Amino acid sequence: MNKSKIASLHDMLQNKEISCAELTEKYIEAIDRDNGSLNAYVTVTPETAMESAKTVDKKIADGKEIGLLEGIPMTLKDNISTDGIKTTCCSKILEDYVPIYDATVWDILKKQNAVLLGKTNMDEFAMGSSCETSYFGGAKNPHSLSHVAGGSSGGVASAVGGNIAVYGLGSDTGGSIRQPASFCGIVGLKPTYGAVSRYGLIAYASSFDQIGPITTSVEDAAAVFDAISLHDERDSTSQGRRGAPVCSTLKDGVKGTKIGIAKEYLESLRDDVKKAVLDAAEVYKSLGAEIVYFDLPALKFALPVYYILACAEASSNLGRYDGIRYGFKADNYLNVNDMIKKTRSQGFGEEVKKRILLGTYVLSSGYYDAYYKKAQNLRGTIVNAFKDAFTKCDVILAPTVPMTAFENGHAADDPIETYMTDICTVPVNIAGLPAVSLPCGADDKGLPIGMQLIGNTFDESAILRAAYSYENATDMYRTADFGVRP
Amino acid sequence: MKYEMVAGFETHVELSTNTKIFCSCTTQFGGEPNTHCCPVCIGLPGTLPKLNKRVVEYAIKAGLATNCEIAEISKMDRKNYCYPDLPKAYQISQFDKPLCEHGYIPLSNGRKIRLTRIHIEEDAGKLVHSRGNTLVDYNRGGVPLIEIVSEPDIRSIDEAREYVEKLQLIMRYIGVSDCKMQEGSMRCDVNISVRPVGSERLGTRTEIKNMNSITFIAKAMEYEFNRQVDLLESGEKVVQETLRYDDVTNTTSSMRGKEDANDYRYFRDPDLVTINVPRERVEEIKKTLPELPIAKQQRYIDELGLPETDAALLTKYRKIAEFYEKAIEGTKNPKTAANFIIGQIFSSLENESEKEQFNIKITPEALSELIKLIDSGKIRMNLAKSTLDKMLETGKKPSELLSDSDLAGLDENTFNELCQKAVESNPGAVADYKNGKQKAVKALVGFVMKNSRGKADALKAEKKIIEIIG
Amino acid sequence: MVSKEEIMKIAILSKLFVADDEIDSLTEDMDKIIQFADTINNAGAEGDDFDNINNLSNVLREDEVVESYDREKILSNAKDQDEGCFMVKNIMK
Repeated sequence: MNKSKIASLHDMLQNKEISCAELTEKYIEAIDRDNGSLNAYVTVTPETAMESAKTVDKKIADGKEIGLLEGIPMTLKDNISTDGIKTTCCSKILEDYVPIYDATVWDILKKQNAVLLGKTNMDEFAMGSSCETSYFGGAKNPHSLSHVAGGSSGGVASAVGGNIAVYGLGSDTGGSIRQPASFCGIVGLKPTYGAVSRYGLIAYASSFDQIGPITTSVEDAAAVFDAISLHDERDSTSQGRRGAPVCSTLKDGVKGTKIGIAKEYLESLRDDVKKAVLDAAEVYKSLGAEIVYFDLPALKFALPVYYILACAEASSNLGRYDGIRYGFKADNYLNVNDMIKKTRSQGFGEEVKKRILLGTYVLSSGYYDAYYKKAQNLRGTIVNAFKDAFTKCDVILAPTVPMTAFENGHAADDPIETYMTDICTVPVNIAGLPAVSLPCGADDKGLPIGMQLIGNTFDESAILRAAYSYENATDMYRTADFGVRP
Repeated sequence: MKYEMVAGFETHVELSTNTKIFCSCTTQFGGEPNTHCCPVCIGLPGTLPKLNKRVVEYAIKAGLATNCEIAEISKMDRKNYCYPDLPKAYQISQFDKPLCEHGYIPLSNGRKIRLTRIHIEEDAGKLVHSRGNTLVDYNRGGVPLIEIVSEPDIRSIDEAREYVEKLQLIMRYIGVSDCKMQEGSMRCDVNISVRPVGSERLGTRTEIKNMNSITFIAKAMEYEFNRQVDLLESGEKVVQETLRYDDVTNTTSSMRGKEDANDYRYFRDPDLVTINVPRERVEEIKKTLPELPIAKQQRYIDELGLPETDAALLTKYRKIAEFYEKAIEGTKNPKTAANFIIGQIFSSLENESEKEQFNIKITPEALSELIKLIDSGKIRMNLAKSTLDKMLETGKKPSELLSDSDLAGLDENTFNELCQKAVESNPGAVADYKNGKQKAVKALVGFVMKNSRGKADALKAEKKIIEIIG
Repeated sequence: MVSKEEIMKIAILSKLFVADDEIDSLTEDMDKIIQFADTINNAGAEGDDFDNINNLSNVLREDEVVESYDREKILSNAKDQDEGCFMVKNIMK
């Protein structure tokens, strides 16, 4: 069985078993049928999709070879700027904002005739873990509509898991690709900071944000990553992929690979999650990998460090929403200052406001040293701890989330309890490392459990190779039971 | 009690790069509102800044020209404040690692005004109030600035004026800014306090914001000095505040309300990377610097023997100095060229701005040619002067304006004949002279000069005429 | 314990209004969050120097002009505009 959905669809298109227009129509129909229950898409773009499809069909009809991603129906998280197509960050404050330029990742894929089906749901400004802070309501888990798809890239995961998109691009600031991929039983790759251009990604926390693919298989994630991991002149922090395309080493196996397990990642997990991860370690052993155990005490402070630094950056990044140049603008104001305050107070949701306030607080005079500066130093400590860990192993194995998908509306009332669900994902963003989440089991309700493989900087090839080996050795690969299966 | 002024300057200078600091839009002055804009400089969500190489280079130049140390490692920070002219609600600036530090500007009285730092940052847009509405134009948004911060070393309005003029002069000389105060490409904030003469303690200071004329700066400082002295004399206290100067009423007034209490929450801009300035790069840039006006002036005095005032006039604008230096190449007397420029050429220019532009019709080579004719005795000064006038008018070279006979000089025979003719055709003057009127000989010399078209040597002619009259 | 006054102060800096009926619960939430943030101060060591996450330097652009955007596009998302400018209307007129 070919597990790569992209590769098999590509072959079908190239061999004229299905036209790109037919394929695209099937997906548009599936969206019409299923999006009502999944709430994955916030904007559907059938005209744009069909236009690209026709271009691809013409190319095929002319007897030309098409690229791997050409003609494949896909989606973008609604914080990735698309020229002429609404990009809302699922916030009231950008409800009707239409960018006048393309994000670099979309620019790349558009040139390869990717078929954009629409823009997908997310937590407002990517701040949340359930997709429920979205102004448009949360996206649902394709495995169980009574559960959340996760967040913040919940819409992409819901769409890909529910097969109303072949793949999608999400963004990961503290786990926003990996966590929903884990909840929806699919694959999510958070690349090394700088591997993929951030130009056009509406910023949450600039030194943490990274765009990456959400797919149904490791091979697809590798293919999309190879396509988008290019150096971009417009993003000063962009470096592009280092070394050969990851696809070229994907099937090289894990014999002799040192897979590390850090004790701290196994603390305060639900038992079934812990068991699934430890079982995965056994699988790796059987594949010839070596398991090494070590401590990463620096992780103890990862969560507060993340929230302090990410919110500090967010408070600055979100200052620009003042109603003057774009987005929502309050009416009934006294003067300019009053207009700005009313716009922001009415335009931002509660979670966003809280994070702006926290960020402002930790940067304000009198608190800067105790919070921002201290957290920055601890970020250094965490970076160094991982550097040290990668002298002992090639890849770190860890759970993606300490639990499985929450029930709708069940995200904890207590803000800290909610933040705790990010405990396994944030260290990677703090250190700028690559990590991939893939399914490794299910709980007693059948909800997927995910594990992540963390690599050294710019070593996407190691984690994807390890992920592929596991996926190939087990039957964890799955897609949800509904949606089209061409 | 006698008080003295203690003032420091924060001067914003717009750099004359082609493009903005973080995007490729033009920096051209003017233009229809919002036509020099792109997604980056209007702060659209998702856009990222990319630093203009030339901004770093120009700032280093400015630092070197003002005796600063250039940082090896520098970075960009965000200064967060919300105002409609600031599209991202933060200004990308430099906080704790500016590109240049610890410089100074020497004044003519021997004092040095220390510079704390020079850093790079982006300009804001422009707010216009029209029919009660607030309009925003972002054409200026993102234009590169350097902010030059001085220590509170200025003690008088004269020093302040000289400091600003010197800065302006240096920045223009090294070509990093046109420093046009009326167009806002140079703006000053002045921190000012007063203290009893002899006291070492600094008084409470106020800051007068955003002044764009040297006259206003002088007036505002004078007003503020007197206001603070009056307060202290009457036993009141100076309140630390930010002031605006109103040039119509010639007064200062407080700018900010309580609501806007600022806390800039500086932090490193995560969208930009470290600026590394290798020492070799600093040396390279140093080599591209022209001789600076202060050094040039001294050289003109020491090596060319010019009077101080002439040296100052010739070095005031880079174009004049360049013209002058080319014009004296291969000539014997550098004073001749200096006199021509300061005299005849300057009087053909209407104002300072024309002097600065120095758009004159003649080339330095043409002036040099003229001076060489004087040096070699081929023409005399009054002919040279009238020729220069024609040159300035027509743009022609001396060789195109002077005939062969002008340049041929005057041979002995012709000279003698002319003197003889002068005596013969002016019997009245000859008679007067013989009757003891010494001055009458001048008329005869005039005859020789006129008929030789200025080529005769007047002294020689007088001698010869007296000899003929006997 | 973070005070209501501090929350009001940072709300002003953040350009946000806090309604009277929100301030108590917001202060409570913010207090929890700030206490949580405070746990970093339990980290004994001072931590390591941290420059930035990308370890890059001198990523610079040549000073070459690229044509600006059409004004129509620049203004296309503005709610109010006049005379080619973004506008905040004076609605008190």
